[in-house]
Amino acid sequence: MTTPVAASPSGTRADTTLVVRNLGKTYVTGKEEHEIFRGIDLVVERREVVSIVGPSGVGKTTLLRCLAGLLRPTVGEVRVGDTLLTAPVPEMGVVFQDYSRSLLPWMRTVGNVAFPLESKGVKKAERLARAEEALEVVGLGGAGQKYPWQLSGGMQQRAAIARALAYQSEILLMDEPFASVDAQTRFDLEDLVLDLKNRLDISIVLVTHDIDEAVYLADRVVVLSGRPASVVDVVEVDLGHDRDQLTTKSLPEFTEARSRVLRRIRRQ
Amino acid sequence: MSVVSRRILGVLEQAWLPLVLLVLWYFASAASTNPFLPPLSSIWESFVTELQSGRLAVNFGASLNIIVLGLLGGVVVGVVVGVAIGQSRALRAVLNPYLQFARSIPQVALVPIIIGAFGITAVPKIWAIAFACVWPVLLNTVDGIRAIDPGVRDLVQSYRITSSKELFKVVLPAAMPQIMAGVRISLGVAVVIMVVAEIYGSTEGLGYFINYTKGLFQPKATWMGTLLVGLLGYALSAIFLVIEKRALHWYHASAE
Repeated sequence: MTTPVAASPSGTRADTTLVVRNLGKTYVTGKEEHEIFRGIDLVVERREVVSIVGPSGVGKTTLLRCLAGLLRPTVGEVRVGDTLLTAPVPEMGVVFQDYSRSLLPWMRTVGNVAFPLESKGVKKAERLARAEEALEVVGLGGAGQKYPWQLSGGMQQRAAIARALAYQSEILLMDEPFASVDAQTRFDLEDLVLDLKNRLDISIVLVTHDIDEAVYLADRVVVLSGRPASVVDVVEVDLGHDRDQLTTKSLPEFTEARSRVLRRIRRQ
Repeated sequence: MSVVSRRILGVLEQAWLPLVLLVLWYFASAASTNPFLPPLSSIWESFVTELQSGRLAVNFGASLNIIVLGLLGGVVVGVVVGVAIGQSRALRAVLNPYLQFARSIPQVALVPIIIGAFGITAVPKIWAIAFACVWPVLLNTVDGIRAIDPGVRDLVQSYRITSSKELFKVVLPAAMPQIMAGVRISLGVAVVIMVVAEIYGSTEGLGYFINYTKGLFQPKATWMGTLLVGLLGYALSAIFLVIEKRALHWYHASAE
């Protein structure tokens, strides 16, 4: 996976920015109101990787569901390009936390990757070509004819990423995508994300509770904390494009950003 | 061990017990003088006689006809209505009390009413079987759909899967293991309703044959009819197993 690809497997371009203004979500159960987060402002520019990090239970997944259009915010708005988000849009692809449930066990891997394209009206031959190409990009070339349950956890998550790529979305939303794989697989998948970011024209929003991961992958880390949660800090990560699990993570800039994020989370 | 000999061994593993029982029955009943417990050999003779007269084929065919049509009707209605109810919270809320009521009626109890109202031809029996077979399939379909993981629904929504693709490529496959379990229950129910309906009022069918030969005091023929009902049920479930294995190969394989 070292040969650079000129365009994404899709040929899409991330011209679209994601803009979040004063976003808040409150759940009402009976008479009780439960405010999850409030006043979230966020801009994801084209080709940017933004991590949203915060302690478990802070409402990161709820926020991501609002960004994906799966959940209506109580206040504020999400804009994708010029359009106000009211439902999921084709410009965004989601990689879910639980890959084992998001891949359909009755379809082969290539079928899973190609499936969303059917509803987009893409012809069968092109669907399969795009799916195979996306599988190739994530390092699963040749595994397409297997069923998801015949793949390891890391490979399943690669397949889920391939599905989002084949869908040709410009913005990839990832919800704790590597939370349930072992450490080594996690590093491999993190490097896959960096690789995709450098090779393809996509923006990535990554929700995680892992501070190292948030810093390692992102151009910017948005720190959520408090109850209700709000943005307590935005940390610019200046580590350049070429990052490496060993050298990058021992750079003073990395350690500094990491400590700052940790302090911000702990202070609340 | 070669594939063939392994397969033969597999068949033997399943078949040895029924074979032993048959042999035991054969010898234990050989000297029987009780007319209600005739020797197995005489039941076999009566089978050959009835087969040659053609009576057997007519009755067997009549039973097969109503059970297959009734089962098919029940399964189709059960799946279609089950999908509608499973997918719609509103429908579920409205219909749930009636479903619980309908499932608690022993369907056999409806046979006299249905046959009394619509006569002793094949069609009312098909209705009775279908009506009884609807419930296990319907309720299992609803349960299967409700058990679909919310993550799968998120996937469908975020990738803007159209409703027809959602139905045929996501919802139905996801609920298929439960639907198949429902069909399996319905299969047993169908055999019971078939026999009862044919005994209650009919001019043909295995149930009719059992009842008719009992009236003529031909216990050998009655025994044979009863055994044939069992065989019919067994054959249907064997066919069903083949269909199920094909439809759910992913399910069985992923569980291994």
